[in-house]
Amino acid sequence: MKLALLGVGNAGVRLVDRLHGAEGPTHLLSNGNVLAVNTTPTTFDAVEHIDESRQVLIGDTHPEVYQPEPAVDDGTDADRSEADVVDRREGVAGDPELGAAVAREDLPELRRALDDIDDTEVDAAMIVAGLGGGTGCGVSSVLLEELASIYEIPIYVLGVLPSADESDQRAWSAARAIRTLVPMADGVLPVDNEVWHTDETYEAVNEAVATRIVSLFGAGEREGLPLSELRMDPNDISRTLAVGGLSTIGYVQTELSIEPDGWLDKLRKLLGVTNHEPEAQTDATTIKKLVERAVDSKLTLPCEISTADRVLLILSGPPRELSRKGFETGRSLLEDKTGTVEILAGDEPDTEATAVTATVLLSNVTDVPRIEQLQQRALAFQTGQTVAASADQSTADAAVSDEQSAENKATSTVDGEHETANSDDTDEELDEHGFRFSEKEPVDPIDLITEAESTADDSVDESDDSVDSSEEPVDGSGESVGSSEEPSDGETGETGERAENEPSDKSEETETPDDASDSADDPNIKDPFADGTATDDTAQ
Amino acid sequence: MKLATIGVGNAGSKLIDRMLEFEQQTGRDLCRHVLVINTARTDLAKPKYVPKDRRVLIGDTHQKAKGHGVGGDGEVGAEVAKNDIDEIRRVFDDVEIHEVDAILVAAGLGGGTGSGAGPVVIDELQKMYDEPIYGLGVLPGEYEGGRPALNAARSLQSFVTKVDNFIAFDNDAWRSRGQTVEEGYEEMNRELATRIVTLLAAGEVDGSEVGENAMDSSDIMRTLDTGGVSSIGYASTDLEKADGLLSKYKSKNKDDEVNSMDAAKIKGLVRRAVNSRLTIPCEVSSADRALIVFAGPSSMISRKGIESSREWLEQEADTVEVLAGDDPRESSDTLAAVVLLSNVTDAPRIKEIQNQAVDAQNKIRELDAVRQEEITSLITDDDNELDPIV
Repeated sequence: MKLALLGVGNAGVRLVDRLHGAEGPTHLLSNGNVLAVNTTPTTFDAVEHIDESRQVLIGDTHPEVYQPEPAVDDGTDADRSEADVVDRREGVAGDPELGAAVAREDLPELRRALDDIDDTEVDAAMIVAGLGGGTGCGVSSVLLEELASIYEIPIYVLGVLPSADESDQRAWSAARAIRTLVPMADGVLPVDNEVWHTDETYEAVNEAVATRIVSLFGAGEREGLPLSELRMDPNDISRTLAVGGLSTIGYVQTELSIEPDGWLDKLRKLLGVTNHEPEAQTDATTIKKLVERAVDSKLTLPCEISTADRVLLILSGPPRELSRKGFETGRSLLEDKTGTVEILAGDEPDTEATAVTATVLLSNVTDVPRIEQLQQRALAFQTGQTVAASADQSTADAAVSDEQSAENKATSTVDGEHETANSDDTDEELDEHGFRFSEKEPVDPIDLITEAESTADDSVDESDDSVDSSEEPVDGSGESVGSSEEPSDGETGETGERAENEPSDKSEETETPDDASDSADDPNIKDPFADGTATDDTAQ
Repeated sequence: MKLATIGVGNAGSKLIDRMLEFEQQTGRDLCRHVLVINTARTDLAKPKYVPKDRRVLIGDTHQKAKGHGVGGDGEVGAEVAKNDIDEIRRVFDDVEIHEVDAILVAAGLGGGTGSGAGPVVIDELQKMYDEPIYGLGVLPGEYEGGRPALNAARSLQSFVTKVDNFIAFDNDAWRSRGQTVEEGYEEMNRELATRIVTLLAAGEVDGSEVGENAMDSSDIMRTLDTGGVSSIGYASTDLEKADGLLSKYKSKNKDDEVNSMDAAKIKGLVRRAVNSRLTIPCEVSSADRALIVFAGPSSMISRKGIESSREWLEQEADTVEVLAGDDPRESSDTLAAVVLLSNVTDAPRIKEIQNQAVDAQNKIRELDAVRQEEITSLITDDDNELDPIV
């Protein structure tokens, strides 16, 4: 799938730069349709692959946007602990409202830059941004709104979520970004820095993300590869993402020179349990396990995989290594693990490859603890801000009731705790912070999850009922089947009814004996494709 | 028989391509007209034997397809074909229908294009022509999952009600250990092409000799006239050629055994054809009509062998409507027996696919029902206090 890559904010620009580099000189993803947007020019200095003409600075004339003196470049990454400092000084200072305001004001500038993007050359557009930043969150929201109104192609968001050691303000921006972008975008792919940002720089995160994005969206785009049997088309990807919501990517690779036999296999062989040709079996097992490991691997957004709505699997490697049995078994395993039947699977034979790779896209996952956590931090931050603002006002008024002041005190203490927690975190044990934080919450996140689950269960029950009721007519009269399910297309509708209820009549007409139609017609599967409005029925 | 062949979707197109390959290799001339239709531009590049101008891309202007396939969605496949029906009709205009006996539409029923566009194409053909239209459909294996099963179960209904006979091929029956993805599909397509071409090319006066017990196109058509779902069995045996020193030596020793095959052996071949992998496993006795074609040098096929085979199959298939005949292929170094079991009503795989499809459909509906609610609940905090930015 060809993607226009639009990087917004510090993190977004850097990630797009990385993606643009990773897609290679043929630009197999973007076809050259790349854009970098920021409210501060600092990150542009570090850009290696994005052409200068594709770097757009906005808000530089906005009175509230501070632009630093040129050549402020400390060489390190701007998003880490000093990110907060940088945000407060440069650009929109981590303020998403300001980011959005700047983007609106400079919309003509953005539109002009978008003229360079040829939406007929790509299958979709992807906004790439750090959702915790003022630019990444605010400008992306406005840009998405703009893109959605001008493009027919789907628009996806690749959004980096702040880790627990980043400020509460960034968590607040990210939670609101999710709230804003998901309903407007055709699909949002978050990358959770909490699990991915493990070293000092962002190199590792960006590389991991670039690998996954190129291997997923680049499937079927690489030229000079042998023709694949089950090729991934751009529409396979867009259909998988079309359900909306949050999606996540799993990726795993196995080098081909690995020792094929585990001790268990050896033991089995010793005991003579394996009675098949060992090599072939190993092949199938390797591939099956690879697929299994892909969903169990570190996902871009950790989540409960059984809540996935649709799934896409790409198996890439030398054609001789791609065992059909392993591939199919792996695919059916995905069905069990994810609880969905909407699984598209394709192969990408690459004779030059030295490894076999499985890439899995799980779309619309709905059980994501990290999002709950972000929302809680965001709420605490928001409450703190409001209280602080009202406290300021109250002090100025100098007419504070005892009750109120007690309340304010209590809440600002909570706020204060956050502050200290944050400064602590910059030292050590960053990972722990998220947990400590959630422990402080009055509502345990586990409860929240259970709550969510029980709601989900309820709705499932409801839908179960509706399924049952829709099946009822099968037992009853054929007419109700026809009227409830059959399309307006009279002719075919009639045939359908008769196929179920008056086979003898039908056989007379179409010269098809009863048995024939019987074996092909399952009354529970109603609309044959070619029938009139069958399309409308499930298309929604 | 003379056929106009149309492949719809990736599997259908590859199947037609393998049929062309097989008939070229064996000097048959079955497919007089060829056409492949697909929604994915890249997949149209795959066939090696289908002429470039006989490959039709549909849906390239369709908003959901744009020449990039239909994402495995049969609904979209049908929609795209309906939209581009004029395009399809225009290509049919080239088909000189009086030159062919029947039309064969091949498709994979698990995918989006084959399952959805296939029936639409057949509808159109039925409107345009009086000739019988046969369907050749590949059913997805169990491991291909619920979505392909749902596509197939729904498409099978459309196919069977619209075509004059539906020849089914079950992917599961042909799965074997150690195949790569590439080999797997290639092998299946070759096997199926061999069976279908050997069967349908019989009775064709394409320069081959007309045998004594020659099978006629009308016999095949009569057998297929039952409608319903049919299965094909196949077995072949290598004949030693009379050239080369070694074989000369051998034939001297083996006497005239090489030059004629006794009735028992011929019957054995047929028995093997029926008991080996059928294109779709089924209860042989549930067949409505049956037909046996022997393809190979006519000297190899004795009238007695044909007759005893016919009698055997009559009992096995529990029907008196069994035809048997030969298709003389003098230059062939194999003797093949193809058995057509027409309108078999006991095919367990079809029930299995339907059950899998019903489960899949329920799951899809369940997910559809809660989708928006779950997304909203995920992205909003419990009290909805966090506002969107724009």
